[in-house]
Amino acid sequence: MFRNHLKVAWRNLKSNKLFSIINIVGLSMGLTIVILLFLFISHERSFDSSFPKKDRIHRVLLKTNGDFGFETWASAPPVTALAMQEEVTNVESAARLLKHNFGRPASMRIDDQNFTENLFYWVDKELLTIFDVELVKGDASGPLDRPGTVIISETAAKTYFNHENPLGQTILVDNSLALEVTGVYKDFPENSTLDAEIMASSNGSWFHDRKSWSNASFETYCLFKKNVSLDATQKQMDQMLDANLPKNQQWYSFGLQPLEKVHLHSASYGNSYSSRIGDINEVRNLTYLAILILLIACVNYMNLTTARSQKRSKEVGISKTLGASSESLIGRFYVETGLITAISIVLGIVLAIFLLPSFNGLTNQNLNIGLLFNSSFGLVVLGMWVVTTFFSGLYPSLYLSRFMPKEILSPSLTRGKGNVLIRKGLVVMQFAASTALIVGVMVIYQQTKYIQNKNLGFAAENVMAISVGGLREGENKRALVQEFENLSEVTAVSMVQGYPGMDVSGRTLRKKETDEQGMNIQTNVTDAGIVDALKLHLLAGNSLPKSKSEKDTLVEVVLNKKAIDYLGFTPEEAIGKEVYIGVPNTIVGVVEDFNYESLHQPVGAYAFHNSPSEGKSFMLVRFKSRELVSTVATLKNTFTRVVPNLDFNYSFLDQTIARMYAREKRAGNISIVFCLLAIFVAALGLFGLAAYTAEQRRKEIGIRKVLGASVGKISQMLSKDFAQLVLIGLLIGFPVAYFSMENWLEGFAYRIDIEWWVFLLAGTIALGIALLTVSFQSIRAALTNPVKSLRTE
Amino acid sequence: MIQIQNLKKSFRTEEVETLALNGVNLKVAEGEFVAIMGPSGCGKSTLLNIIGMLDNPSDGSYKFAGHEVGGLKESQRTQLRKGNLGFVFQSFNLIDELTVFENVELPLIYLKMSKAERKEKVQKVLERMKIAHREKHFPQQLSGGQQQRVAIARAVVTNPKLILADEPTGNLDSKNGIEVMNLLTELNQEGTTIVMVTHSDRDSHYAHRVINLFDGQIVTESQNKPMKAMV
Repeated sequence: MFRNHLKVAWRNLKSNKLFSIINIVGLSMGLTIVILLFLFISHERSFDSSFPKKDRIHRVLLKTNGDFGFETWASAPPVTALAMQEEVTNVESAARLLKHNFGRPASMRIDDQNFTENLFYWVDKELLTIFDVELVKGDASGPLDRPGTVIISETAAKTYFNHENPLGQTILVDNSLALEVTGVYKDFPENSTLDAEIMASSNGSWFHDRKSWSNASFETYCLFKKNVSLDATQKQMDQMLDANLPKNQQWYSFGLQPLEKVHLHSASYGNSYSSRIGDINEVRNLTYLAILILLIACVNYMNLTTARSQKRSKEVGISKTLGASSESLIGRFYVETGLITAISIVLGIVLAIFLLPSFNGLTNQNLNIGLLFNSSFGLVVLGMWVVTTFFSGLYPSLYLSRFMPKEILSPSLTRGKGNVLIRKGLVVMQFAASTALIVGVMVIYQQTKYIQNKNLGFAAENVMAISVGGLREGENKRALVQEFENLSEVTAVSMVQGYPGMDVSGRTLRKKETDEQGMNIQTNVTDAGIVDALKLHLLAGNSLPKSKSEKDTLVEVVLNKKAIDYLGFTPEEAIGKEVYIGVPNTIVGVVEDFNYESLHQPVGAYAFHNSPSEGKSFMLVRFKSRELVSTVATLKNTFTRVVPNLDFNYSFLDQTIARMYAREKRAGNISIVFCLLAIFVAALGLFGLAAYTAEQRRKEIGIRKVLGASVGKISQMLSKDFAQLVLIGLLIGFPVAYFSMENWLEGFAYRIDIEWWVFLLAGTIALGIALLTVSFQSIRAALTNPVKSLRTE
Repeated sequence: MIQIQNLKKSFRTEEVETLALNGVNLKVAEGEFVAIMGPSGCGKSTLLNIIGMLDNPSDGSYKFAGHEVGGLKESQRTQLRKGNLGFVFQSFNLIDELTVFENVELPLIYLKMSKAERKEKVQKVLERMKIAHREKHFPQQLSGGQQQRVAIARAVVTNPKLILADEPTGNLDSKNGIEVMNLLTELNQEGTTIVMVTHSDRDSHYAHRVINLFDGQIVTESQNKPMKAMV
């Protein structure tokens, strides 16, 4: 029986080429997307799963209150790890990691060569046991026990030591700290949140024994004892905080995050050092999109199969008169569906293999096709096959197998209208989904453009940020600035702690020292050149003073508009006033607000000051726009001449700003491609449906033509029905699109409004695509010679 | 074999109710060859559908080989039909996607017969219908007469007790038509009961008995002298 089913299904496939091609193309495109997304999602979900103790590893979170607002940070004060090991009995061990200089690149000197390493971490030695870091070279018993030791990854070993043995060699960091290489560890896998290329021992560092309950800059991981609960440990941590910090000084509370959630559930957390942060929302949205596309493809199948029911009913009728039961007919249609989906899956896998490089480019990932060939993927394929087959075949098989045999003996009897209604409903649904997607794509595109073109309040073009963290204050730095200022290519130079797009220091702004309340303010150590280097708009006063003696303890500050609004001054009034940002500051200038963070965040208070409380890690250089290559060469030559022992490591500010929106850009790219595919698949279905409608109405069309109907009238008649369905689809799709896009836009502090013409345009596009698709078939049907269509009856 | 009493069948559309059969009484004995005649719309096909258990009557009684059939569920009717009934249609109703052999084999598959047995039976019946040389062809590749011979082969392959033929020669030229009628007569002579709906006077002469239907009622019944197969 099964073989017979298969045989008929195969021949059916061959004899109805248009039907088969539309179905297979549609389904395989849908499945290709599902496969690619499966790769992407399973990579994202596999993060940190390779660590043997993963189930017992948790990251300490800090939940702020008070001046900092309610935020969650992925970092904790330095004492946390120490206190946890002593006071939290559920914890076996804890370890801190601090990216060099609070997240700045490290300048390194090895032999006579200069390097810059962005993934340089200071870590507690306990980290090695918590994460089971595997040493391939060196003494595994305690490579980071002694002060001044460092271990490096295999990749770093190759980069920095080529083929030499790195063990025992010295790395000079920031021209001041000499570290001895005591081990080489196996690279962390690509799906690991830990991304360190170099890990230096915290032993001997300034924070190693620091008992501070503030300065929350340390990512802290802890290993639970076996069989302890998260809740109980959380309680112990609360008690630890109460025991060490008076209630009125608790500007935060602790939380714990299981390692398995670190990658996908931290997108909104501040102060995380990893360069590999995922976003569960992105994964979720893409999943929905993939399901939607597959659904559209399945709907195509249902529509086309039931549309052909006139022809299939004969077959069903005959089979039934010959003794076939309904069950065996349902089986028969399922075999047919199963065959088509199986072909589509094979095609989908092949397509996915070919498209993977482009998909990687689109998503900025490095997914490997090898991920496809494991047992879990086999299960997914099987699952996809079963689900797609079940879903696509459900309606056709139930509907078609219900035909009564008598109907083939009296073909004039009309069947109920239920079938037509459901089919129409499915077309409406498809077009509702398509128009919603078109609106979505347009809104995403507009918002992305808006972000790119928004006036940020400073000019990011033609600014180079050179890392000078390895440079000592004083003579060298001043000489460097002077040399740069003398270059004809350079228009402004400024030394800064950090630049827009980068974390600086959070402090509290108070009008008077005794004020209880304050405002959270970002503070950035810099000099006079900052206003010109960033092209900030001065509202009153001047930039910071040009020269300042080292003994001068007076702190000058340039505030932004938000800050003086809080203080209640006009820009002019503010000049010369004294305010408190930890220490007394004198306001010397006021600048217009500028977006120092991504446009997801509203602008807050911001201060440029000249207290030496933090080091200045970067030199911002504004250069003239022409001849980029030669300008970079000149800057490099000057730099290496003045500071020969430092690597010339630079980035362009506009590129840094663009990287803040990499995730949006990626999401935008993916959704645009997926939406186009979805619309294409829907149009494909409509094309097939129109073809069959025209086929079914052949006789009617013939009679109408004999009676004198024109080609135009007939194609109009055929297209009208579809146009109605598309219009209903629009009415359903618009509100769905509106609410989901409003929801998406709410994630931006600076956003566009969704305008009415977007809907008009999307509707016109959808209707246009539909009519174009349908009219092709309609005109063809209308042009047929009526003698032909009438003769066959 | 067939006992029909006061059979009624009505069709409802949204506005009107049409009475297709209005109190039909009919008995068909085993081995009989009955022709049903009448103008278009008199209810011939409806009656044949009910006799063939493709449809249920609205009222009245229909006993097939002693079993009451009226009011059975579709699945029950399917069970009773299997192997007992064979159908021959005016438009042949072969499945386009199956070859001649596979079309004839189909009812045997539904009877869950073994493959070897099926093969033997199909080949035998194809030879008898003189169509064996075409067993690998698809229906569209055959002439009308050949297609109808395949349809008859398919109807008789299960050795049914009753063959129902709905204008079996309606789409054939006279030569092929005569051939088909001869085949049916042969089958009847071997003991198969045949009920045939026809428009053709010539065809009706092959039957033992002719029933004339008009507006859903039997108006006349006449006996024929059994005809010998024509050459």
